[in-house]
Amino acid sequence: MKTNFKIVAAVLAVSALGLAGCSSASTTTEPSAAAPAPASASAEAPAVASEEPVAPALKACEVTDVGGVDDKGFNQKAYKGVTDATAQLGVEGAVLESQAETDYVPNISSFVDQGCGIIVTVGFLLGDATKEAANANPTIPFTIVDYAYAEGDITANNVLGQVFNTDEAAYLAGYLAAGMSKTGKIGTFGGINIPPVTIFMDGFYRGAMAYNADNGAKVEVLGWDPAKQKGLFTENFESLDDGRSFAQNLVDEGADIVMPVAGPVGLGSAALAKELGPDKLLIIGVDSDQFESDTANQSVYLTSVLKNMDVTTFNAIASVVDGTFAGGVTVGTLANGGVGLAPFHDLDASVPQALKDQIETLKAGISDGSVDVKK
Amino acid sequence: MSTPPIDREPIESYEITGKRTKELTRRQIKKARITGIVMFALAAVVMFFLAPAAAGTSTFGLSFAEESIQLPPLSVPSQGSLWVLAMVLGFLGASQFFRGFQSKTTVILGIAFAVFVFSLMVWATAGEEFSLISMLVSTIARATPIALGALSGILCERSGVVNIGIEGMLLGGAFTGVVMGSLLGGWVGLLAATVTGGVLALLLAVLAVNFRVDQIIIGVVINILVLGLTSFLTAQVLVKNPQFNDAPIFQAIKIPVLGDIPIVGPMFFDQTIIVYGMFILIASVTFLLFRTRWGLRTRSVGENPKAADSLGIKVAKVRYLAVIYGGMVGGFAGAWFTLGTVGRFDEGMTGGRGFIGLAAMIVGGWNPVGAFFAALIFGFSDSLQQKFAVIETPIPGEFLAMAPYLVTIIIVAGLVGRARPPAADGQPYEKE
Repeated sequence: MKTNFKIVAAVLAVSALGLAGCSSASTTTEPSAAAPAPASASAEAPAVASEEPVAPALKACEVTDVGGVDDKGFNQKAYKGVTDATAQLGVEGAVLESQAETDYVPNISSFVDQGCGIIVTVGFLLGDATKEAANANPTIPFTIVDYAYAEGDITANNVLGQVFNTDEAAYLAGYLAAGMSKTGKIGTFGGINIPPVTIFMDGFYRGAMAYNADNGAKVEVLGWDPAKQKGLFTENFESLDDGRSFAQNLVDEGADIVMPVAGPVGLGSAALAKELGPDKLLIIGVDSDQFESDTANQSVYLTSVLKNMDVTTFNAIASVVDGTFAGGVTVGTLANGGVGLAPFHDLDASVPQALKDQIETLKAGISDGSVDVKK
Repeated sequence: MSTPPIDREPIESYEITGKRTKELTRRQIKKARITGIVMFALAAVVMFFLAPAAAGTSTFGLSFAEESIQLPPLSVPSQGSLWVLAMVLGFLGASQFFRGFQSKTTVILGIAFAVFVFSLMVWATAGEEFSLISMLVSTIARATPIALGALSGILCERSGVVNIGIEGMLLGGAFTGVVMGSLLGGWVGLLAATVTGGVLALLLAVLAVNFRVDQIIIGVVINILVLGLTSFLTAQVLVKNPQFNDAPIFQAIKIPVLGDIPIVGPMFFDQTIIVYGMFILIASVTFLLFRTRWGLRTRSVGENPKAADSLGIKVAKVRYLAVIYGGMVGGFAGAWFTLGTVGRFDEGMTGGRGFIGLAAMIVGGWNPVGAFFAALIFGFSDSLQQKFAVIETPIPGEFLAMAPYLVTIIIVAGLVGRARPPAADGQPYEKE
């Protein structure tokens, strides 16, 4: 009897760990077992029909942040860069989702052990883990979304940091939101107070202030103070109900347009907006065009602030394929299409032409450098 | 103070008893002094730090725009109110210091903290305005999963089975709730969520009662199992079939008349079915645990299974039932995350609320009503933090977010009233 239950417990514990590992694949792999298997696809790597029968295809491996590849934003968009590459370049793709911050290191080392040709890490929070792995494996090219290392941080210069001037696009969104607000208050909230998040909020705030200056309006922005770098944060990227309650909070304080910068948490805000209706609350999506990705709530999206990490990620993979990969930093701007403002889709008719024209002028101004979004 | 025992006890024992009583009163005096000083300190903070900086009036909105009965916003002169609040705190502190409230100390300390928090609110809104009613409604919403999670824990632990798998039950309920809700509608989803919690609890009961596995380990296993399983299924099924991840959301149902009462109406009588479910469950579990034969049996099994067994109570059966009911409550709570708020599932979306529920259970002293109030404290500080972030106060939001955990530690450490678990909590019972 006594041994019986120990066996049951052991079996359960092992199977539980196995299941947890299945999705995050965060179990540590023994180096000796995994080293000679560059071509074997991992269990959940999307099967890619490789066109080249001779050479083993390059394996592009992505480690996500905790939001997961189906977050309809950030991680999903970067993953699109990988899937685009598998479709167009004939490389193999693989992805490991991090369930917690403790998964970053094991996930990356698991890909190192699998012999990946390039490792894509998605997110500022993976910065330290990526740096460590890149310095330990100087021959493997890495590319990281939202992180630019300082000179000398990466000894072998094998990391391409992708950063985005998202404030340029968010500036346009802030300008638009200020012009569209009926209550004279717009709001924003973030996931965690880190630069890739707050750069959206900075741009959004300054864009609204620019609208005020241009049009003699007095639109207030709730949830962010760029001078103090303080504001409203959910402190996570997972709890969708936070997205709902934070947006509700902003609506109760008078905001009628909200830009959540918190990955999937923003989907909770969208659910609230759908319930309240477009007169009470409109959402500005971030990262990807959420009108396209969040099909269940299309009616709530005024526009989205696009951060095209799929393009930069694809380019990084392509550069490894054709042998031109170089470490350093690549900056996505409004001018080079790295960031942008999504179309207004169904709400196009409700945006006044004058406002559209102002935004176009602004866009040109930001692109040619005559408008400074940093102030 | 205490009368000497009348029965003939040996002298030594009498002496020890006498000494102990003295010691206890000395400790009581010390405790009264310390709590008095704490209140004084709070009063000083309000008087010297908050009041001088508060100019203008603080305005609290008490009604939503769409309510039929409108209350005018509560406007108070910030500085004046802070003087008054500081004096109240000072008075409480002084009487506590010199006289002591003895058994009422905890209550008085609670009131003092409430006064202090209100002072913070007055100070933070000086010259500004915020919607108090919105914060109160949000408090209820955010307390709901925590209170239900705590209730799940109470049902299990009152019967002597530790349940730290609440988080897993929430997550499991949230997942099946959204899948079944997407396919067959919200009510089926709610039922499926409840059943899922029950099934997970059955696993806990089998391992804890029949196999006598360490209950902490089972709880951890349940949490990891469900996190792994739901994440796996999300990646494999929900991502590829988004139609399974688009459930209807329960809308708030306004109760006629009661829902129109200012303040109380929007808080308690204009809520979703899951929030009403929570109120009903808190009330009914309290009644069942403390007023029925089933409750007495459950509690006796949790306190002293051997004695209960000798009186003919089937310990295993009682524990099984209590644990499964607890799991069902946990699954029901899980439905709040999907069917009650956003209508879709994402990995790990419960965000540790099960563990906070566990804390609320302890703070509430393994009592449903106590746990509900504890959950309200958690919900309140959560919403307060949000409001403060919007109106931009100098208090760091992280500090307020930390406050409820601080309270938990204080209570668990036994500084304010003792938190006593059921005596046989976590102990497997083996019939001799």
